[in-house]
Amino acid sequence: MRQEALKVSPSSQPSMTKKQSKYDEYKRRRKILLKSQAYIVGLISLLALWSIWGTGFNLLSLVFGTYEILVFIFTDMFPPDLSVIGSLISPALDTLYMSYVGMVISVLVSLILGVLAANNLSPHWIVARVSRSVTAFLRSVPAVVWAIILVSGIGLGPLTGTIAIGLSGIGILGKAYAEVLESIDENQLEGVRATGANWFQVIGQAVWPQFKAGFVSWSLYKLDMNIREAAILGLVGAGGLGYYLQGSINLFQYKEAATAILMIFALILLVEYMTAKIRERII
Amino acid sequence: MMETILEIKHLNKTYPDGTEALKDISLSVKKGEFIVIIGPSGAGKSTFLRSINRLSEPSGGEILFHGEDIVKANRAKLRKIRRNIGMIFQGFNLVKRLPTVRNVLHGKLGYMSTWKGALGLFGQEEVEEALDILERVGLEKQAFKRADELSGGQQQRVAIARAINQSPSMILADEPIASLDPNASRVVMDYLQKACRDEGFTTIVNLHQVDFAKEYADRIVGIKNGEVYFDGPVHELTEDVIKAIYATDKEAMPV
Repeated sequence: MRQEALKVSPSSQPSMTKKQSKYDEYKRRRKILLKSQAYIVGLISLLALWSIWGTGFNLLSLVFGTYEILVFIFTDMFPPDLSVIGSLISPALDTLYMSYVGMVISVLVSLILGVLAANNLSPHWIVARVSRSVTAFLRSVPAVVWAIILVSGIGLGPLTGTIAIGLSGIGILGKAYAEVLESIDENQLEGVRATGANWFQVIGQAVWPQFKAGFVSWSLYKLDMNIREAAILGLVGAGGLGYYLQGSINLFQYKEAATAILMIFALILLVEYMTAKIRERII
Repeated sequence: MMETILEIKHLNKTYPDGTEALKDISLSVKKGEFIVIIGPSGAGKSTFLRSINRLSEPSGGEILFHGEDIVKANRAKLRKIRRNIGMIFQGFNLVKRLPTVRNVLHGKLGYMSTWKGALGLFGQEEVEEALDILERVGLEKQAFKRADELSGGQQQRVAIARAINQSPSMILADEPIASLDPNASRVVMDYLQKACRDEGFTTIVNLHQVDFAKEYADRIVGIKNGEVYFDGPVHELTEDVIKAIYATDKEAMPV
């Protein structure tokens, strides 16, 4: 009897307590997880409250303001003065040129910086760091600031806007390209590398096919964004529709300004439609 | 007898964390041999194979291929050596978004100028040759499909075609059938064996299926804990030897 009891206990009872302690462990870990999630949610809420206080965000002013805004739009801006459309075509084209050439500049430079910054392709980690820092710097300076700096050197006009857009675009595309490149499948590169292919051949034959979709997507997205940016750059004298917009607002010609705004809207829709079509074709 | 094509002397590989993957491996391979390497997972089979074309850098030792030391080769020389060694991977490692035929054409990259290769400007002769090779592995109908549209077994045959197109003198295959079903495995091994017989390639294959190893190999090398444990013809590989190769030092799993 005693021997039986002894036999039973090591097999059944310890396993029960083992199970119990495993469950406790599970509960303990779960509690830690929930606690850290609660901290994160709390932190985000605090930051939101702080920002609301800091910006003086007030729903009431939005409600009352809406009336004033509508009055302004309907009395001062409506109907848009469509007779100025003829004189808007050339500034609209300027905006398009600035956006497109700006994109081409950022694509060309970002391709080089992106490859150098991607950890899996970079010839050396120091090169990757330097390239990352350059793109981060270009990204941290907004296009408007670039434009203000460039206006002092190059003067007013679309060239200033183009370079400003190009420079800030490098910051964004360089980072985006590097991230796409870092997510490509290393095994495919290895397969090509094992045939005796050199670095450029691996880039062309194994990296490019994987990179193409992300490359096209990001570049077209930047073109899309550039139209918006180009309109804002006009406000600091970098030419295009924004420049015209600012001029008419300064002269209180709000009906002309309304036409310019509609024109910007039309351009954005056009580019969006075209980039969507191109993306469909290529990807 | 036949000349020695590959002579490995005291090959070592230690990972940065101190793991010794290969310990003093020496092996001599004759021209045209079909060698299968067996051993438990983690024994170092893959590291050994990848050290031969330096996809994984050895820490020490010599690898003489046609009398040239691969370990000491500079980048340019290493590329010349690599084009002379076809490699087949467990995961096929084809460029999935490119057509099958282009993947086969990649075998010619080592013979082309940098820019022609990078831009994929392959000549008519090269394309025709690639299509011929695809026909030989039974995939002429799949030539213009994207590589990722093919089944696993078909993809591995494309990889074999890519290796053949390198006109190598040696082929390394790292677990070529580990991710295939038994039927596709047999087809792939048959094509690999046929290619090696027809072209006289020296072949080293890692396998973990002992039955496949016995069936296809001229010679079997057993690797255990990073060392050569057995090296001999198939008939010397007795059940006891197999058991010893696959036995682990650790205790068996509790039932």
